[in-house]
Amino acid sequence: MERISKELRQDSLKLSHMCQDGNLQSVFSCLDIIWTLYDKIMHWSPELAQDDDRDFFLVSKGQATLALFPVLIKKGFFKMEDMSEMGKFNSRYCIQTDVTKFSGGVENSGGSLGHGLPLATGIAMANKIKKSPSRVFVLTGDGEFNEGTMWESCIFAAGKKLDNLCVIIDDNNSVGAMIDMGNMKLKLESFGFEVYDVDGHSLVELEHVLSVKPNVGQPMAVIAHTIRGFGSPTMTEHEIWFHKAPNAEELDMLMREVDEF
Amino acid sequence: MRRQFLKRVAEMIRNEGDTTFFTVDIGMWAIRDILRDFPDRATNVGIYEDGMFGFAAGMSLRGLVPTIFGIQPYLIERTLEQIKLDFAYQKIGVNVVGTGAAVDYPKYGYSHYCAEDVGVIKMVPGVEFVAPGTAKQFIQLFNQAYRNGHPTFFRVSDHPNTVYDFDVEFGKANVIKTGTKATVIAVSVMLDEVMEVCADKDVTVLYYTTLEPFDKKTLAENCPSGNVLICEPEYVGSLLYDVIDALPDRAVKVKHVGFPREIFRNYGTYDEKMEYYGLTSENIRHILHTLID
Repeated sequence: MERISKELRQDSLKLSHMCQDGNLQSVFSCLDIIWTLYDKIMHWSPELAQDDDRDFFLVSKGQATLALFPVLIKKGFFKMEDMSEMGKFNSRYCIQTDVTKFSGGVENSGGSLGHGLPLATGIAMANKIKKSPSRVFVLTGDGEFNEGTMWESCIFAAGKKLDNLCVIIDDNNSVGAMIDMGNMKLKLESFGFEVYDVDGHSLVELEHVLSVKPNVGQPMAVIAHTIRGFGSPTMTEHEIWFHKAPNAEELDMLMREVDEF
Repeated sequence: MRRQFLKRVAEMIRNEGDTTFFTVDIGMWAIRDILRDFPDRATNVGIYEDGMFGFAAGMSLRGLVPTIFGIQPYLIERTLEQIKLDFAYQKIGVNVVGTGAAVDYPKYGYSHYCAEDVGVIKMVPGVEFVAPGTAKQFIQLFNQAYRNGHPTFFRVSDHPNTVYDFDVEFGKANVIKTGTKATVIAVSVMLDEVMEVCADKDVTVLYYTTLEPFDKKTLAENCPSGNVLICEPEYVGSLLYDVIDALPDRAVKVKHVGFPREIFRNYGTYDEKMEYYGLTSENIRHILHTLID
């Protein structure tokens, strides 16, 4: 694993330890995707965070908030020391976002699944109306596609030819324990999307696929194949890390594990 | 009222480039030119209210002013989580115009009735509810509120008042007359029936078209008796908290005329329903009598 992927994971471990909550398996599965977007793909910087033509990134799988914050820290938008009150009563920062507490950097309030993609779809449509070059990237879970609003958004996005919308599915096999969703690629293609597969932990592959110029008039979906807890064998193996925050001892152990991965 | 609304939408879409309009497959004929000429900003989305609310919220986040038109129960109960999270939580605006409440589709059954709309919306902080009593009032209230940046629900009625048509102001109750023995709260399309009974009685009549935020000040200043009769074309008790809260630290006697809190399993006509559930001048007279005589 590359140095940056390790550092981001270590920062999310620290944040989870600070607020004593979080879904770290799910955070580790999507960190490389979010980093690639901010580092290589999006028209975004701290200075552009409120620019009308910036690219948008929305967290539809709300648990990914603990992945977004480390990326925004690395990009210089937030400071790790500002997050020392994370999860406290009056903090701006917690494991889900409240957009009303931020001016830029966070684009939507998260928490309930099936909301981020419709919001992103509306933003993409608004960008068309405003004739803005801004693109909209939205990170969803694979399990999140159980929600009907996800497919409603797909109908609308394809019908309105929203080629400025890119849906990235963190396919960490959440649906493995649920009723089989079948072939997501075929499903999304049949809904009118141009669909790509990618190794969601390869920064090189992610950059390559996410750099593809969208087809005119067609929304894009990227199915990122990921592993829950990737970067920590303990987290990958033990389901308890689906929703668990590390204590001081576990934090040390996991930090070392990530470093050696 | 519906026709006036759609006419206003057409005007709005033509003249205001930051407005958008979605319909859930109703009212298209009246605005067919707009749907044809402005396909990006005026769309017959189809039949998926939940997603549509999310798209509207996305547009609102980008500074546009979305308006949604559909059928009341699907706009309010199917989409409750979108109302709460996409709009109220994120503090962004939308206009939602609903037809059908409370029993304006009298033959469609309980699926299309929505006597709970006021109560449901009032449980989500920051969401406004407007129930005009006439077409003129709809336009007045819509024009005052549609750009206020809040989520605002407008209940469109097919059975407006035909006798009384006062000018109204968003967020303000009208003092129609003053008296000493009781304060009668006439909500929306109940005003004609209320006035048929109260015109020559020694009571105060207050007319409410904005139900959230509820104008507590006007009630507090116009309730000398402590006797209150609420006449509301929704489930009884939908305004009870506001009424009690407007009159703190005093003994208040409250009675209601409104739809009972039960599942309606009947069909027939609108008038039959109003008669059956007692939303009539005769019943208002009877209940008022038990309150003040």
